[in-house]
Amino acid sequence: MDNLFVDGLGKSFRLGRPVEDNPFNPKQWLKNARRTLAERGKTEPVTGTREFWALRDVSFRVQPGTVLGVIGPNGAGKSTLLKILARVLAPTTGRVVGVGRLISLLELGAGFDTDLTARENIVMNAAMNGVKKADALRRLDAIMDFAETREFLDSPLKHYSSGMQLRLAFSCAINMDPQILLADEVLAVGDIGFQERCLRRVQEEAARGLTVLFVSHDMEAITRICTRVLWLHGGRVMREGDPEEVVDEYQNATWETADLASDEKGRHINRFGRILSVSLESQDGREVGAARVDEKCSVRIRVETFTNLTITHCAMDLYVGNVWVLRAHADKERRVEPGIHDIYFRIPANFLAQTTYSMNVSLGIQRKNDAREYPLVMYKALRFLAYAGEGGTPRTAKKAALLAPRLSWDIVLHAVPRAETAPTEDTDTDTDKVPTDTIQ
Amino acid sequence: MIAVVRRWLPWMRPQDASDRPYKWVIEPVREGFFARVREFWRYRRILWFLCSRAIKSRYEGMTLGPFWLFARPLLPIIISAFVFGGLLGVPSDGVPYFLFFLTGQAAWHVFDRSLMMVTRGLTINQNILKKVYFPRIMAPISAASIALTYFAAFMGMMIAAAFYYLFKDGIWYLRFGPELLLAPLVTLLSLVLAIGVGLFTSIWQLRFREMRYTIRYFTQFWLYLTPVIYPLSAVPPQHRWIMYANPMGPYVETFKWSVLGIGELPFVPLVCAGVTTTVVLLAGIWYFSWAEAAAIDKM
Repeated sequence: MDNLFVDGLGKSFRLGRPVEDNPFNPKQWLKNARRTLAERGKTEPVTGTREFWALRDVSFRVQPGTVLGVIGPNGAGKSTLLKILARVLAPTTGRVVGVGRLISLLELGAGFDTDLTARENIVMNAAMNGVKKADALRRLDAIMDFAETREFLDSPLKHYSSGMQLRLAFSCAINMDPQILLADEVLAVGDIGFQERCLRRVQEEAARGLTVLFVSHDMEAITRICTRVLWLHGGRVMREGDPEEVVDEYQNATWETADLASDEKGRHINRFGRILSVSLESQDGREVGAARVDEKCSVRIRVETFTNLTITHCAMDLYVGNVWVLRAHADKERRVEPGIHDIYFRIPANFLAQTTYSMNVSLGIQRKNDAREYPLVMYKALRFLAYAGEGGTPRTAKKAALLAPRLSWDIVLHAVPRAETAPTEDTDTDTDKVPTDTIQ
Repeated sequence: MIAVVRRWLPWMRPQDASDRPYKWVIEPVREGFFARVREFWRYRRILWFLCSRAIKSRYEGMTLGPFWLFARPLLPIIISAFVFGGLLGVPSDGVPYFLFFLTGQAAWHVFDRSLMMVTRGLTINQNILKKVYFPRIMAPISAASIALTYFAAFMGMMIAAAFYYLFKDGIWYLRFGPELLLAPLVTLLSLVLAIGVGLFTSIWQLRFREMRYTIRYFTQFWLYLTPVIYPLSAVPPQHRWIMYANPMGPYVETFKWSVLGIGELPFVPLVCAGVTTTVVLLAGIWYFSWAEAAAIDKM
């Protein structure tokens, strides 16, 4: 049975008129009059309000025990979604059906009053969530133990640091026995130790059937604790499903859009040459979009030069997401004539891990009698996926690391065991061998 | 007994025994009136919290604390009583003018103060309204609790003044008897009237920041159209309808009648005022329910 069922949820905000449009402001009358005179018949009159859909047609269902990560760029509607579920905002369309007590932690804090003491706040918070005062006081110990703020139990919350307030809020929420917990960026100010304990506690409670909706920009935490991920973009659901897949896709997408926005591809051309293309070639020279982990492949950089030049160096930066994995560098100087040249970087077999890589490429070129170096750089020149073939390496877990080179290994005897321990080991191996023999 | 009442009043039926998982629905169109009343009942503990918090946060951290509760209205009242009663010689139906004025002010302040506080109810509780859900109508209603502390302070001052006159003149001016039961009723009605009006103004306050000052502006006149400073007997009979058209007129007059035993009990105007108050309250609840979602969006 579903714990939470969201169907066609939508929320529209009415963007009001700007403040200057105050109908009682004489200055504005003059401005309006001037504008109407100047723009007679040119433009349509500005209407009063605009509609803005923060959420549109969001539907999903959650089973008990799910930790649902909600990811997306700023302004994607994550917080609005949680606010609607917490009933702070009313939806414009759609409906939500939930089962059980829902406790929300929105924007750092659960609606604590900073003038009241921790004890009073806990009781008040309990009342807000439908827990009786006696129940709340019974849980006080558990709350204090988890938050580790026992000595400040009777001091007003305004004297707490933001981290301590967060600890208290989280501890309070999770100890109220919720069936659904909404957590919006709550771990942002906690220290690493507390974050770890929170995540572990969330996992424990989830194993017991707690449903968690967890908004975070920390993709590592998301992939670690979430069992499903919902990716929102512009108020709509982009994808929902397996955490690793969705997070991967989300990161790739933001990577690309961030790349387009930064407009840094421009330096791949200058007066003397340009990088035409960067592509991946398989072992047998075919241009491919993905590399097999267990086969050699090469990166081909096609460069056009306009004059006689010296290529002083060539480098390739490999990224996974926004983590810089390595820089492959070649310093050999090569004189080239005008024309189109292919530069190859060889990637050995059993070197890459199974993940999506992206690559920056840079070249240094020098002219005769000119000491200056003119770099050619191409950011995000290539993106490719590395995958295991049929005879893949079963021992390398999926997404084990950023690189998975196969290194040679050796076993060398370092020291001989002492004499007295040797015989007992011998007898051990004997006794081990006996039953196997009898079985055979 | 309570179990029987609970069975018969549908909104008092325990919907969630708070341990059993219960189903809830969020929809754009809110539930009907009875569902709201039931919800209000379910969240009743929060109302107490909000009330005590409103009072606490007002006097917390003040060195003199509750002393200000008395000090703040006392001096203006002494001065006004001196000007109106002493210098201008306003009649007071045989009761010392100070006591008369204090009684009238007590009844008036319940309305005036709670209207001001209820108007600010949503802005005061903005912080929790944006984080936790509870019936939104509780925010303005709870703010009225501050007015009750004022009322209690006035009562204390009234009794102190009565003792003062007992020792000075040897006359006990306050009334003891069944008529006194009307005083709490009238106080409650003026509180309800303030909440009814305040439910409108608290929503408007979010959009127009000057709402507070507008209300203060109008309550000044309203005070003079209510028999607080002067007794109703000083008003020519042909003009008394002005007093009675305003619901606070009969309330203040009845309060003075029941506490001091002066004037008359304006029975018909009182019933009319009661009906007006009920209508205003229901309209206020309706308006608030209709406008609350949009108002919270704008916060």
